[in-house]
Amino acid sequence: MSTATRSEDPTGRLGAVLGRLFDFWPMVTVAALGLTTLLLLLPVYNIIGLSFSGTEAGRSLFDNYAMFFSEPYYYRSLINSFIVSISATILALLVGIPAAYFVSRYNIWARSLIKTVVVLTFVSPPFIGSYSWVILLGRSGVLTRFFAEYGISLPSIYGAPGIIFVFTLQYFPFVFLLVSSGLKSIDQSVEDAARNLGSGEFATFMKVIAPLLLPSITTAALLVFVAAFTDLGTPLILGEKFRVLPLLIYGEFVNDFGGQPVLASTLSVLLLAVTTAALLLQRWLSARFSHATAAIRPLTMQEPPPLKRMLAAGYVYLLMAIAILPLVNIVISSFLKANGPVLTAELSLENYRRIAGTLARPLWNTILFTSTATLACAVIGTLIAYIIVRRPGRISALLDTIVMFSYAVPGIVLGVGLVVTYHYPPFALTGTALILIMAYFIRRLPFSVRASVSALQQLSRDTEEASVNLGAGPAATFARVTVPLLSMAILSGVLLTWSNTIRELSATLILQSGSTITVSIEIFNEVVNGNFGVASALGSILILLTFLPLILLFTLMGKNEEALV
Amino acid sequence: MTTSVTIDSVTKRFGDTTAVDAVSFDIAKGEFFTLLGSSGCGKTTLLRMIAGFMRQTSGHIRFGGKVIDHVPPHQRNTGMVFQNYAIFPHLTVFDNIAYGLRARRRGKAEIEREVKRMLELVRLGHLAHRRPRELSGGQQQRVVLARAMVIQPDVLLMDEPLSNLDTEMRMHLRAEIRSLQRQVGVTTIYVTHDQEEALLMSDRIAVMSRGRVEQLDVPHRIYAEPQTLFVAGFIGENNLLPGTVLGREADGGAIIELAGGGRLRGASTTTGDGRACIVSIRPQDIDIADASNGTELSLSGTVGDIQFLGGAVKLMVDIGADKPLTVALPGRRDMAMPTLGSALRLSVPPHAVRTFQPEVGA
Ligand SMILES: Nc1ncnc2c1ncn2[C@@H]1O[C@H](COP(=O)(O)OP(=O)(O)OP(=O)(O)O)[C@@H](O)[C@H]1O
Ligand SMILES: [Mg+2]
Repeated sequence: MSTATRSEDPTGRLGAVLGRLFDFWPMVTVAALGLTTLLLLLPVYNIIGLSFSGTEAGRSLFDNYAMFFSEPYYYRSLINSFIVSISATILALLVGIPAAYFVSRYNIWARSLIKTVVVLTFVSPPFIGSYSWVILLGRSGVLTRFFAEYGISLPSIYGAPGIIFVFTLQYFPFVFLLVSSGLKSIDQSVEDAARNLGSGEFATFMKVIAPLLLPSITTAALLVFVAAFTDLGTPLILGEKFRVLPLLIYGEFVNDFGGQPVLASTLSVLLLAVTTAALLLQRWLSARFSHATAAIRPLTMQEPPPLKRMLAAGYVYLLMAIAILPLVNIVISSFLKANGPVLTAELSLENYRRIAGTLARPLWNTILFTSTATLACAVIGTLIAYIIVRRPGRISALLDTIVMFSYAVPGIVLGVGLVVTYHYPPFALTGTALILIMAYFIRRLPFSVRASVSALQQLSRDTEEASVNLGAGPAATFARVTVPLLSMAILSGVLLTWSNTIRELSATLILQSGSTITVSIEIFNEVVNGNFGVASALGSILILLTFLPLILLFTLMGKNEEALV
Repeated sequence: MTTSVTIDSVTKRFGDTTAVDAVSFDIAKGEFFTLLGSSGCGKTTLLRMIAGFMRQTSGHIRFGGKVIDHVPPHQRNTGMVFQNYAIFPHLTVFDNIAYGLRARRRGKAEIEREVKRMLELVRLGHLAHRRPRELSGGQQQRVVLARAMVIQPDVLLMDEPLSNLDTEMRMHLRAEIRSLQRQVGVTTIYVTHDQEEALLMSDRIAVMSRGRVEQLDVPHRIYAEPQTLFVAGFIGENNLLPGTVLGREADGGAIIELAGGGRLRGASTTTGDGRACIVSIRPQDIDIADASNGTELSLSGTVGDIQFLGGAVKLMVDIGADKPLTVALPGRRDMAMPTLGSALRLSVPPHAVRTFQPEVGA
């Protein structure tokens, strides 16, 4: 038995071990670790490094931070960021929880229309909402002038109140969607028991329902907080003299361009610290509160007395009307004749005619970058999900952690990090399409991974093992069995990624150059130049591009709006 | 007899638990070999190590004499049938069966021919282009069986393939699997916790308990001559009663006293004199003694319960021990049916009495 003795001796075993390194999955694991390190860890590492450096000799490590916390101009921005984000979070909860409760529990009219409005609000680009509110409530805004004729002066849309207002409207859908799905997991018996013990509806909600909703509520609150804390577009449009941290990063970055963005890096590290802490807090809270049980008999729809029903419906309709107003306004004003920043009441296609000549490049760029990043997310995200679910171990846990860390890295921070890392030769990637695609890819990667992970967890391992057993190697099994079985999950991931990536602004603002201009940048430029009519035409196109995949998702794939969060 | 699969002191540990504990056996070419044992005894673990999905902590596995410890699962040429079918839901019946041949890059004509032949064998020819979701559970299991056999595996591995089916389908497929296996002549390792299935189908059975092989033998010997207390209790209905070996007769037979005072002769008892033991007697080996043939070595008791089962009559006879003795009498037309509460004398042939060491701590 020469073969038997040969494979039992040490050299044979070593050979086998070495051979395994070049197996499919170990290679993919190494590649995924390398890729995420290059696109995420290295940029973050570099801005942290930069934040501790200085140009002058003899400086201490913490000089940049010391300066930040001693100069009011800088530290005020951090305080401001907290003020607007916390306010927006609280308001979004106050506005969103009742709305979700009413829509889920009361048989108010047009519930699917309401859900559509929530989805539209949720996926529309935030900066478009901001400038739409400027058109409506700005100094020469439509509503401002309208009410001024009657002697009523509306509150200003600029500064902190305006930002908080827009954030609240933009992000309350997080609360609405998460609380709605949280309500679905509560069993009717819980409410019945409380009511049976003599609690009224409000008392039952506060004492029984709300505590059970706590996981959804805390998750939603932290998502709103992080989204508001890291948003650049809205404060850029509405901030004026009110400066928040992302705004400062952008400003310093633009100032430092050419040199090393030391200060922008320092500010980025602070922003990242806050978002990372929020993410960790959310993980900790959801682990603590995870008494999630599937409801055997979910909460039923109630038929409240007519007055109550009408009041609830009135509240929800008003909220939805305000939330959808900026989108409606954009579409309408795109068809109005513009006179600089002032829109006339005259219908025309002039705005579209004006963009027709210049639209091709940004549109093509946007579609190309988005599609490439989306494709990369689908392929690499599925591979990584497979490693996390099917090959558990320390290395796969590390990969999981790195990917999830990407949630915490705001777009603007990633942008600065990528420039710091890849600006200089031999890379010299700044201003290329590649660097934008890299940013889009790594930002959406955790979403793709998470979607595939949950689909894979529901897939019995046996089917894949049957394939391996029949002689298909690991790669062939992945391609011929795993991917086909995950195809629906992957496809819906693709649609979501596309729709989320196409409206990206923060990282794009940092990374784009003239030749890589995208539709969102073009809109932004037109807004800054006061060409609201053209901006609206572009905005309408962007909104359309954002919604198309979602329409497919909801109609063809039978997903509901909760797939968004 | 050529050896097809050799398990050589294979052990698998998961942390502190030892799922498979120094198991060794050989399986002959073409043999239908069954691993039988209750839940958690390590059957699946052993099977998965043979398929290569799991690596043993120590020991070796050989196919045809060749150590295959380092061979990855997709190169082992085993055919596995899973408990929950593991059919490829996105492929037709034909493509499911062709999967292994395509992975082996066989020619188109050959694939067509082999799959057709296999479809005929499992009588699914008319369903070749159906999707799995349009098939019944039994049909799906036949597809999976065909899929595993068409690649002519060195060994066919089946992990409780029938446990998800209803009783009727299970009976039917048992016979079908067995006859297919004989036709094709493929070496088979079959995992089940159903002893009837094991006894009915197998050439040999390895009874497993807590990761160890308790006994490995042909079915009727497993049944008639259990080697361990576990096997005696696990296979078939049995009376297991505490007793003591009193001494030996000239022919080597032992005199055994049961709890309750009844005495028996046991032919092949190895337990030492004066030692406590567990006595095992199959209910159907016990007879009602003739009144005339009243030796002192018989049991007497009173009938506590009568269960008439048609083909057999079961008596629960109180012999003064903790548990009643179960006696199974063949239900003949002219049998004298005992009456409840009547006194009985029972006789047991010495070769039907086996003794085991009482298990410590069990
Ligand atoms: N991946 C694993 N990690 C830890 N323990 C395991 C693992 N797989 C099996 N075990 C343990 O090993 C033992 C044997 O499990 P195995 O699945 O082989 O049992 P089985 O005989 O197939 O049982 P069943 O009839 O229920 O299928 C059990 O105690 C089980 O808990
Ligand atoms: Mg098992």
